[in-house]
This record gives sequence, C-alpha cells and structure tokens, in this order.
Amino acid sequence: MAKHKKGRVGIKMDMTPMVDVAFLLLTFFMLTTSFKPAEEVQIDLPTSHSEFKMPETDVLMITVSKEGRILMGVDSQILREAIFGSQNKYRSSVEVDKLQLGNLVITARIKNPRLRTVVKGDKGAPYGPIEDVMEVLQKARVTRFNLITDFEKT
Amino acid sequence: MAAVESGQPRSHGKGQKRKKKRRLSVRLDMTPMVDVAFLLLTFFIFTSSMSRPQTMELNLPPEKETTVEVAESNLMTIRVDKDGNIFWNIGTELPKKLEFNELLKLMKERNAANPKLITLIKIDRDGTYKMMIDVMDELNVAGVTRFSLAPMVDADRNILKKVTP
Repeated sequence: MAKHKKGRVGIKMDMTPMVDVAFLLLTFFMLTTSFKPAEEVQIDLPTSHSEFKMPETDVLMITVSKEGRILMGVDSQILREAIFGSQNKYRSSVEVDKLQLGNLVITARIKNPRLRTVVKGDKGAPYGPIEDVMEVLQKARVTRFNLITDFEKT
Repeated sequence: MAAVESGQPRSHGKGQKRKKKRRLSVRLDMTPMVDVAFLLLTFFIFTSSMSRPQTMELNLPPEKETTVEVAESNLMTIRVDKDGNIFWNIGTELPKKLEFNELLKLMKERNAANPKLITLIKIDRDGTYKMMIDVMDELNVAGVTRFSLAPMVDADRNILKKVTP
C-alpha cells in the first residue's frame, strides 16, 4: 500500500476580522434600507438621462396608471389620514378624480408647505390624463414638479 | 482673582478592600450569533435597492396668462401625433416628419444656428406619456432649456392632416 496516513492538522482560523466586516455591512444595510410601501398599481417607468434624485421626504406623489387612472398619495401617514380619512391611512395612494385633485393638492400643501410634488406616470399611460394633471398643478400654483423616470442605460 | 482649584477631593477608595477573584477564562461560543448576523446580512443585501429613482424637473409657467411675444422665426414647434410620429416646423412652415433618433441632431443644429430659438412641444392627448418623456429627454440631452408644453388643439391636428397622406 502506497498510501500512508497523514497526520491530521487541526486548523484554527481567526474568524474575528471576517465577523467584524460582516457586522459592519449588516449595520450599513440595516441603516440604509427603507422599506417600500406596497403600491396600489404597478407602474412601469419610462427612461431618461436625467440625474436628479427623487426627494426622500415630504413627497406628494401623483401616479398615473397605464389605464389613465389618477392616484394621489403622500408619504407621511399623519398627513394621509388628514387628507383621505382614517380608512385610507395605510394605503400608499388613493384613486382620485381629476376634479378633486386640485383641491386635494391644495389641502395637502396647506397642511405641509414643504411638500414636493412628483408625478409618476406609467410609460404606456395616455398623454391626456398627464396633461390634465399638469393643468391642475398649474392651477394649484405648483409650477415646479418632478417626473419620475428610470435611468436609461446607453 | 486667582484661579482656585475647585475639584472635589478624590476618594482613594481605601474603604473597600478588594477581594481578588480567581479569574475564570470565559469561552463564549460565538457561532450562533455570527450565523444570525450573516442571515440578516444576506436578507438586507437582497432586499435593499440602492438607487432612488431618477426624476426630471419640469417648471411650468404660473397660470396667469403672461403672453410672451416670440418672433415666428424663433419658434420651433414639435408635434407628436397619437401614433407617436414626430413633426417639426419653424414658424408657419409646414411640419416635416422626423424620426425620433434624428431629433437630437436636429435640436443641436437648430439651436446652434439660432440661440434664441424657443421650442414648443405639443403632444396629442391620445399619445403616450413615454413620448413626452422621450422628447423632453432628448431636449435635455441636447442642452435645450427653453421649451414649453402646450396642448394640441384641433388646428394642430388639421395642420398635421395636411402633411400626412
């Protein structure tokens, strides 16, 4: 028999640095994640080369779905309750009529003047409702707003 | 006044007599904790999405009708019909059809030729939102900042009808 037994060497590895790094990463990811609220409608964003980041807080979001439905939502739960009533407290956005939209936007902006308006439209959405939304915003004196897009990879 | 040291007298801890304990070597098994830590780590890595969505900023003029007089030769109109065809014209010329990938080049050329050019975008209500974003994005890429959106009225549709067979 050619094989002969090797003496087994007990390997002791110092895991401390690896565990340190793991914890570091863990803390990092825990602190940076913010959980997305469930969306009312699925939105397929159009793409653009724009590099403005979306504001993180004080957001008033107007969503236009693929079918042209208009939904409105704000990020703070308290404000949501104040505008849409307590039954809609936990919904990220509520479907609104385009005739109500103007008043709701104004109410929301009175309650929180720092609100920034963003418009999130599906890429297949018809232009008509978007035009209506812009007109309403213009009437509500929201002359500066952002359109959410995905980054285009080219 | 001279500075007076107002520190409290330090106690020297004479009162307690320290007992010497026999030191026990403590060995903690860290494995379960590290396991949990890695589990959480993988969870957060997979669930976090790093990028916030991009946005495009848009400024609308306030509602008060302030009519701005623009010379016809300085006004370029881009019209998008409901099928996504793009037409452009300057002043009162007849609209010419344009492919989307030519738009960037055209905008750069026209704006270099006439720096006072103002672009008006008119999109049919039955067109798609994507067209609006695409056209505006091309303008942004071309460095055109002076553009505005206007509703497409029947007069525009009639003009477009003339040029489409």
